[in-house]
Amino acid sequence: MDSLQALLEGFATALTPVNLLYALVGVTLGTLVGVLPGIGPAMTVALLLPITFTVPPASAFIMFAGIYYGGMYGGSTTSILLNTPGESSSMITALEGNKMARRGRAAQALATAAIGSFVAGTLATGLLVVAAPAVVDFAISFGPEDYFALAVLAFTAVSSVLSRSMIRGLASLGLGLVIGLIGIDEQTGQARLTFGVDQLLDGIDVVIVAVGLFALGEALYVASRLRHASPEVVPVGAAWMGRADWRRSWKPWLRGTALGFPFGALPGGGAEIPTFLSYATEKKLARGAAREEYGKGAIEGVAGPEAANNASAAGTLVPLLTLGLPTSATAAILLAAFQQYGLQPGPQLFDHNPALVWGMIASLFIGNTMLLVLNLPLAPLWARVLRVPRPYLYAGIVLFAALGVYALNSSAVDLVVLFVLGLLGYAMRRFGLPIAPAVIGMILGPMAEKQLRRALAISAGDVTTLVRSPIAAVLLTLAALALLTPLFRRLWARRHPAVAASTHRPPED
Amino acid sequence: MSSPHEQDGATARGAVPAAQDPRPGPAGPPPDDRAPAGEAGKRGWWRPEMGLSVTVLALGVLVIVGTLDVSAATSRLGLGPRFFPILIGGALILIGAFYTLDVVRGGRGDPEESEDVDADAPADWKSVGLVSGIFLGFTAALSTLGWVLSASLLFFGLSVALGAENKVKAAVIAVVLGVLSYVVFVNGLGVSLPGGLLQGVI
Repeated sequence: MDSLQALLEGFATALTPVNLLYALVGVTLGTLVGVLPGIGPAMTVALLLPITFTVPPASAFIMFAGIYYGGMYGGSTTSILLNTPGESSSMITALEGNKMARRGRAAQALATAAIGSFVAGTLATGLLVVAAPAVVDFAISFGPEDYFALAVLAFTAVSSVLSRSMIRGLASLGLGLVIGLIGIDEQTGQARLTFGVDQLLDGIDVVIVAVGLFALGEALYVASRLRHASPEVVPVGAAWMGRADWRRSWKPWLRGTALGFPFGALPGGGAEIPTFLSYATEKKLARGAAREEYGKGAIEGVAGPEAANNASAAGTLVPLLTLGLPTSATAAILLAAFQQYGLQPGPQLFDHNPALVWGMIASLFIGNTMLLVLNLPLAPLWARVLRVPRPYLYAGIVLFAALGVYALNSSAVDLVVLFVLGLLGYAMRRFGLPIAPAVIGMILGPMAEKQLRRALAISAGDVTTLVRSPIAAVLLTLAALALLTPLFRRLWARRHPAVAASTHRPPED
Repeated sequence: MSSPHEQDGATARGAVPAAQDPRPGPAGPPPDDRAPAGEAGKRGWWRPEMGLSVTVLALGVLVIVGTLDVSAATSRLGLGPRFFPILIGGALILIGAFYTLDVVRGGRGDPEESEDVDADAPADWKSVGLVSGIFLGFTAALSTLGWVLSASLLFFGLSVALGAENKVKAAVIAVVLGVLSYVVFVNGLGVSLPGGLLQGVI
């Protein structure tokens, strides 16, 4: 089998001592930022983008992938030990996880989350190995109009699914698209929306946008309504679980994986929906003791969703690597990292840079194993990280945000742009605009424009070329359907009022 | 949810062009939250969220107007550099209009939930102003004072503004972080940061 051969060569790349070190640094950093409130994997990878100038691509992507996976592990620790909703992908985990912790079963909750993440991550990476070459074979025939349609689908899907209010998701997307327009037009050399400011000719760097929207925006938002009570962290020892816990966990792990991977691979699927579905499925399937415990801390409600969010992280890599299509904020930043190396993810990447792609995929297996070791015995350490006094945490985040942005060009103008974007990030949080569509719009927008112009140049301006390809027609139809999801969600919320009420507030009429 | 007067939609839309006068800057406009949260209903049709929705709309106009000068050398085949901006500008105007309409009709975005945020608390404008002021002060002082001093001041100022009780401890951490980040990034990773007043000392 071809991909098996390629994967083995990938392991040869990933198992060199230097790359093992990069993987270890990546998963450790990823767990740390996953545990810490206020920063996540997307922003961390963004801050580390400048290392692409000095580090070889394979090593950089091994580290970035480690951060991505590590963030998923770390998020569960926060959800379980802290009685507040954490990152959106582990929000569901808090429902049962924190109740388990409060009943003195924190160690078991952490263990089922970590082992479930390992099982799901490993299985889903295996699925990635199988699925990626298949998608590549299919995508090799894609023309520019198909790529344009794919981008449109990603835009509408991400905006409508990630937000509770579609108009706010679209507004976020639009803001990102405008940011992506700023600077010199690649094809004609004309300056657009620079308003005579020379520093804007090269466009606004992804690092500044991501750091502004995520880090500074979060710091300002937290400043505006800081919870003054100190966080209540449930104390915990090393994570472990007993026989009964294993018996109750393994099926939810597998079901969570089966839900998470395909949703991660879909544009706009993300990690939130599969965790949500997994929680509902486990609740429905619960029998006996589990049924009585549901709502008071059932282990199934932790095992399933945690497996689902890790599997979705692997799923996200399928469209990213094979089509160059990011479906989450972190994936969008990873795409930007590829661009910094002058690489374009897509079918050609597998042909031209097999060592890079398969080295990265192989490192996911290694990183997952490292994460299991990092998270089971070291749980008390991560719990201590959660107690960092918030004033120092956010002051430190802003300090490193400023450092990362200033180091780009040694320019104070960049810091001012960072601040403006921070204010935008603040307003978006305050009014419930999701951040991910903006990041995806900014990074995917210029590519969508390039493909659109290329398609119309080939057809000599005939617009019907955009729908004449059956693939493009199907994708554009799906994009239009995505705009109708609020309707579907309303129906779903009506049928599952309990779950919907505890997480999503049903949209208001 | 108190859903106020539907017919006010027309008035509000009529008022939009006037409200977009504070022309946003090039990089994305500062969000407009001048009206304090919480007393939205009492001020007629105005709501804080409209600051953002109108900004989206105004940005759409800005994209179309701002690319008027981009024209020349349109190639015979395909599209010029203005086509896509017009598409996005138009979409943004449409989105901004619907967004504003949604807000006028009583729609509200849920403030994002986060570990350290008390979503029900009223906005603390003093802290936001302090954090903003400290950051802009840092930006202005960076080249004169140098990284170590200004970064230490940034950390100290922010941690105190965010409620650090032990000021001595905050100061010590600030100085350690300032020096450490300079040493690690300049000497270790070869990043260039301004030395400022301490040029040559470290």
